[in-house]
Amino acid sequence: MSGAVRIFADYTGDVYERADVVVVGSGPGGAVVAHGLAAAGHDVVLVEEGPPFTPDDFELDGARSMARTLREGGLRATRGYMLSTMQAIALGGGSLVNSAICVRSPQATLDGWCGDFGLERTTRADLDPHYDAVEKFLGIEPTPENVQGDRNLLFRAGCDALGYSSEPIARNVRGCRGSGECFTGCRSRAKQSMDISYVPAAIASGARVLTSVQVQQVTTAGRRATGVSGQVVRPFTGEPSHRVRIEAKAVVLAAGCMATPVLLQRSGGLANASGQVGENLQFHPGVAIMGVFPERTHPEFGATQGYQSLQFIPEGFKLETLWAPPGVFAVRLPGTGAELKQRLAEIPYCAVWDAIASCNRSLGRVRARRRGMDPALHWSFDPQDVQILKRALQVLAELLFAAGARKILPGVGRLPEEMHSLDQAGALRSHDLRADDLTCGGNHAFSSTRMHGDPRRGVVGEDGRCHDLDNLYVADTGILPRSPAVNPMLTCMALAHRIAAGVADRI
Amino acid sequence: MWFWGLTALAAATAWRVFRPYPAPPAGLRVLGAREYAFVSAAAQAMFPPGGALAPSGASVPGYVDGFVAERPAQLRLLMRLLFFLCEHATLVFPAPLSGSRLGGMRRFTGLSVEARGAYLDGWGESRLAARRLVFTSLRAILTLAYLGDPAVVRELGLAPKAIDTPVCQADLLWPRAGLARERIAYGPGDVTAPSAGVPLAPDAPLHPDYAPPRDTA
Repeated sequence: MSGAVRIFADYTGDVYERADVVVVGSGPGGAVVAHGLAAAGHDVVLVEEGPPFTPDDFELDGARSMARTLREGGLRATRGYMLSTMQAIALGGGSLVNSAICVRSPQATLDGWCGDFGLERTTRADLDPHYDAVEKFLGIEPTPENVQGDRNLLFRAGCDALGYSSEPIARNVRGCRGSGECFTGCRSRAKQSMDISYVPAAIASGARVLTSVQVQQVTTAGRRATGVSGQVVRPFTGEPSHRVRIEAKAVVLAAGCMATPVLLQRSGGLANASGQVGENLQFHPGVAIMGVFPERTHPEFGATQGYQSLQFIPEGFKLETLWAPPGVFAVRLPGTGAELKQRLAEIPYCAVWDAIASCNRSLGRVRARRRGMDPALHWSFDPQDVQILKRALQVLAELLFAAGARKILPGVGRLPEEMHSLDQAGALRSHDLRADDLTCGGNHAFSSTRMHGDPRRGVVGEDGRCHDLDNLYVADTGILPRSPAVNPMLTCMALAHRIAAGVADRI
Repeated sequence: MWFWGLTALAAATAWRVFRPYPAPPAGLRVLGAREYAFVSAAAQAMFPPGGALAPSGASVPGYVDGFVAERPAQLRLLMRLLFFLCEHATLVFPAPLSGSRLGGMRRFTGLSVEARGAYLDGWGESRLAARRLVFTSLRAILTLAYLGDPAVVRELGLAPKAIDTPVCQADLLWPRAGLARERIAYGPGDVTAPSAGVPLAPDAPLHPDYAPPRDTA
């Protein structure tokens, strides 16, 4: 049995489909669910608002790539504290333009979820079979040594010098060539993004994929979802054309934790008896420090993010290496004029390492705007969580000097733009750090439709099913009850794998 | 007296805001004359000729025009307001190095390159977080644009390499984004072996978009 994929040019009139299950969103959550259900023999329609991309569509320039692959042109930010964040609009969702990091959440983190959120079947032992299945399907392996490149290996050297643990990052990549282009799309076809892995596999199992379709509403009858409705939208402009209606026995929302709450709110406040839809929005705020080394590091070569340290997970942060398209990378360099040019000229000598923090006290919310489907995001930075990042900045500075950096650019407000020794970096320790001093990105978002054993305190149960409806599920990072401590994609996929099995059993 | 004072102030403000700017080059997508002049002036200050990198910021205004055009309407408006604010905020935060306080209150585009640089530095080093944020936003746009010039990326040695992209099963399912199904580039016989994971060679040829222009002399 073989399914089909429809692209924008295929739509010549209004669309009406019927299926066992309609899955909204083709990112890591939706693609895994669609494949699982189709492989189990169910009739699945997978809906994606973005278009499919080919390697010829990839823009190597960072800003142009962001305009084409990310919502709001890649310039989305929260209000309250201004945290830049992103959401992809493409077949495959964020997996098309992320760095493919796949890390299992630590046992202690998942035990904490279970203890604090009334969950009984979400321990590490419960999720390990699902982690295994996803890792096997995608060929998830540690990044090979021969594509690490200097800037990743320097990180290891720094960790070794200070006695910190470190490891090559496991990624959904087969045959990496070290182009460092994960964020603009993998021209080597090595990254197993959903559009070339789970989605084609779902199609091969009979799933129908509708791209360029924006779902605007979940339709219901009593306690049951009956399907979704929306419209066909032109790639890149969003210009609407035909109407779309899909009826199904079950609906799975995997539109992402910033879109799924909007969809529920636009559907008449659906699944919100708990009042938790759109609440508890969390991020992993990230900070980065650039180190400049005496010799060229050839940062353009190597896995985008090839090395990590989990040493500081108990303190609330994870360390990683980082590379990005030069333009995106350079926006955080300080100065103007000749000074700025000098710093740009030092990029070939640099290594940038970042820390992502579990900020469980810093909460936000997702609301539908008056018009359109883009969310209004509000998020506040709790002062105690700022201190986690303060500690992370200190460790990053120590690591860079231990690895041989001749200077660092901490990028922290009210501190020197450059520090030339560990002594000078001591200012990071003594600084009265405020949230406004930080330039943070928050590209892991979660918890806006959180899973909770108590229907009064969460939107979905452990099976991903909304407490308020019999056949409406959520399978994106919104269901994580709080930070997974590490990059959330693999845990999202593992939960989606479990959700698919549960949906298959119930329909 | 008050009336005439206010009238003179209003007239001066109107003159400042509405005084014409040089005509921009043809073919711009969204930037008007004022915005083009502002971005050009800011780029000159941000990326003066010479120094550690040879290319100047001459390519920046054209890139910024495309950058703004490709963003959603609300963000386009915000970016244009950003340019307007920076052009006229010299009234509130006069530029240093302009000879006099009054001289520092000229429009940003009317300042010397040195005064523009000092004015931007003032925003970047301000004690007001909002002012620093405005500066950071402007510098981010200009820096993205500067690094959008292939000549700059090439000079840094960061230009992407040419890659022989394997053809996979997914490439048989859809054409380039936005094209008709008939434009699918590959058939079943075109599928190649996946990447073997051979690291890119440091001296591999550059991607065509980043290759140096051919010498036509």
